[in-house]
Amino acid sequence: MSSNNHLNREVLTTLQEVMDDQFPVLINTFLTDSEERIRHIQKALAARDSDTVRRQAHSFKGSCNNIGAECLASLCEKMEAAGRAGELEGVEQQLVEIQQEFSKLKGTLKSFAG
Amino acid sequence: MAITSTLSSDGSLLTIYIQGRFDFSSHQDFRASYEGLEKKPERYRVDMQETSYLDSSALGMLLLLRDHAGGDKATIEIRNCSPDVKKILTISNFEQLFDIR
Amino acid sequence: MSDDTPLTILVADDSDTDRHILETIVARDGHRVLSARDGREAVSVFEEEQPDLVLLDALMPNLDGFGAARRIKALAGESLVPIIFLTSLTDTESLVQCLDAGGDDFLSKPYNRVILQAKIKSFNRMRAMHSTILDQRDQISRHHEHLLQEQTVAKQVFDNIAHSGCLDSNNVKYFLSSLAMFNGDILVAGMRPSGSMMVLLGDFTGHGLPAAVGAIPLASTFYGMVNKGFAVSDILREINHKLKTILPVGIFCCATMVDINFRRQQIRVWNGGLPPGYIRRASGGEPEPITSTHLPLGVLSNQRFKDDMQLYDLAWGDSLYLWSDGIHEARNADGDMFGEDRLKAVFVEDADNSTLFDRILGRVQAFVGEGRRDDDLSLVELRMDRPENVNAVAAEAERRSRSTLSEWTMSFDVLPGSFRHFDPMPLLLTILVEVPGLRQHSGDLYTLLAELYSNALEHGILQLDSDLKSSAEGFTQYYELRQQRLSAISEGLIRIHLQHSTTDEGGILRLRVEDSGPGFAGGARAPALSNDSHAYCGRGLALVEKLCDAVHYLGDGNEVEAVFSWSSDA
Repeated sequence: MSSNNHLNREVLTTLQEVMDDQFPVLINTFLTDSEERIRHIQKALAARDSDTVRRQAHSFKGSCNNIGAECLASLCEKMEAAGRAGELEGVEQQLVEIQQEFSKLKGTLKSFAG
Repeated sequence: MAITSTLSSDGSLLTIYIQGRFDFSSHQDFRASYEGLEKKPERYRVDMQETSYLDSSALGMLLLLRDHAGGDKATIEIRNCSPDVKKILTISNFEQLFDIR
Repeated sequence: MSDDTPLTILVADDSDTDRHILETIVARDGHRVLSARDGREAVSVFEEEQPDLVLLDALMPNLDGFGAARRIKALAGESLVPIIFLTSLTDTESLVQCLDAGGDDFLSKPYNRVILQAKIKSFNRMRAMHSTILDQRDQISRHHEHLLQEQTVAKQVFDNIAHSGCLDSNNVKYFLSSLAMFNGDILVAGMRPSGSMMVLLGDFTGHGLPAAVGAIPLASTFYGMVNKGFAVSDILREINHKLKTILPVGIFCCATMVDINFRRQQIRVWNGGLPPGYIRRASGGEPEPITSTHLPLGVLSNQRFKDDMQLYDLAWGDSLYLWSDGIHEARNADGDMFGEDRLKAVFVEDADNSTLFDRILGRVQAFVGEGRRDDDLSLVELRMDRPENVNAVAAEAERRSRSTLSEWTMSFDVLPGSFRHFDPMPLLLTILVEVPGLRQHSGDLYTLLAELYSNALEHGILQLDSDLKSSAEGFTQYYELRQQRLSAISEGLIRIHLQHSTTDEGGILRLRVEDSGPGFAGGARAPALSNDSHAYCGRGLALVEKLCDAVHYLGDGNEVEAVFSWSSDA
């Protein structure tokens, strides 16, 4: 996965124009939102609740797409597919990848919002 | 009963209106309506729209008008007769002498 | 409403990030934004605020987007509330599910501001169009309601006139559709004082209001004249004249008029343009057609109008059937017409007259089939029956014809003091028209009385010589002389003698006028019967002779009697 897939600058720039002074608020919302989603996925995994995993991953994917976080979005998509299939084997590993990708993104986005 | 008349602007048609009963009592007025004109009109019209009744002496008066107007050469229309009036004209064969409608 | 009118837009999404983006885009475009975090909240916000447009995420907790969409569409009723699904779902099945739930469009992530704006604009146009259509629909339905209301009023007015007649008589069966008036069909029936029944079935050309305008004058003329005892020919002529005058060219009334004389067991029929009616004899046999021999009412001027009628003798229980072309032209589902042959077949298949009416109607309705029945059918059965069975008027006329003051005389003397100014005609006529059936002859009676009276006055009493009137000057002189002698007269008498007796058909009236003059000896004379139509005089008694059945000269010629016989069903 090449580094330029982590964040689609074009999407983000457009969003910056659209949101104007609301842009920093949006970035913060996304970060809080995402942490929330990750916590929900952790819980659902522990409970082996594949449907909640699918839903959370799906919604998380949507937000990532909106922000231009394409790499994170495609990780979410993989997890959504696993949730839909009811196959949670190896999903813990996927969650770790999502967490790693998210913490990388966090720094970049904060610098944008700043 | 009242008899009035109007002459068309070119003097060619005299229209005589007869109101109410048309009987002997109107013969002076009836004669006066067509006699004494400077020039004899070509056509005469007797309008019976307002005529309620017509007796045998009125038939005589219509014939007097016809002879005054030239007899068989006269052109006289009788218009707007009520059914009763029309019946009397018809049984007296006046349709052969007048143009009745 | 233009397509950039600010709207109230509901954004429902459980993701704060996504919702925040949409809220910002929508608000920046000047719209009012409402937010919801899940499906249930979306429904309740919708209920409270009735937004114009809903942006709905598909997957949400507490009622997902599909469920919320269904409820919102149900709440919106007939007003158009577009729902745009926000989705990253891409599989066909999910998209179909969105549409099934009532979704109108999709918006996928990442959100594109330009596309969203275009969609909002487009839905706004659609909403405007929809609301225009609803307005117009409501307007049309209001107009329609108004029209129906007006038709109801018109029908009421018409029913009040049309039903003043005797359609409820025991010898009449009829079927008319409830809005027959607007199909142009009309049926009126009335009793003449003489006890005969007149029935008119008419079919105006066209449909709707143009076909209905003639119905009221027709009905009111019909009833006005029938009740007063006018002759059929006079009634037909008057209706013809009225319709010819008021209706535009091209609108006229095909009609059959029937005059039923129960006492004589006769019917007279005038058919102008309606399909043939049939006489069905109680004794059986082929039905006899009564075909149209005239042009419809309202076509010809009265000068050219023909009122001659066909006369039929009917036995008790014989019936006459009339219909408008609705029966012949009734079509079944395949578009075939019922036609005359099928109609005739119904007549022949059963000898029982009492069920014929119902059989005809049933057969036509069965032919046409469910759904379209009673559209344009008019059917009438008229049965020849004894007057006492028909209705109260016929029974009363029958009773009266047996118990009436059938024979009477009266004598009326005019004395010298009255000669100059008194005109006895109005007084005598007032008495004569009180005799049932004589009223319709009042014009003739007036002429008879007036001519006989002036003959008696001028020649008998005043001794005026008609020969004077042979020239225009003589004519004037005659009436001057009349005036002179009238003012000098101081003696004499004119006696007017009326004698009346009834007959089966009507009555005979004898009018005798006698004067105190010397009669033939004094110069009175019987009129010249040659009737020279060009002579100014001698027309009075000639007129009298033509108007009555016989004229008799009695005494020395100072007494003239006119015999006038009349029929109550002229």
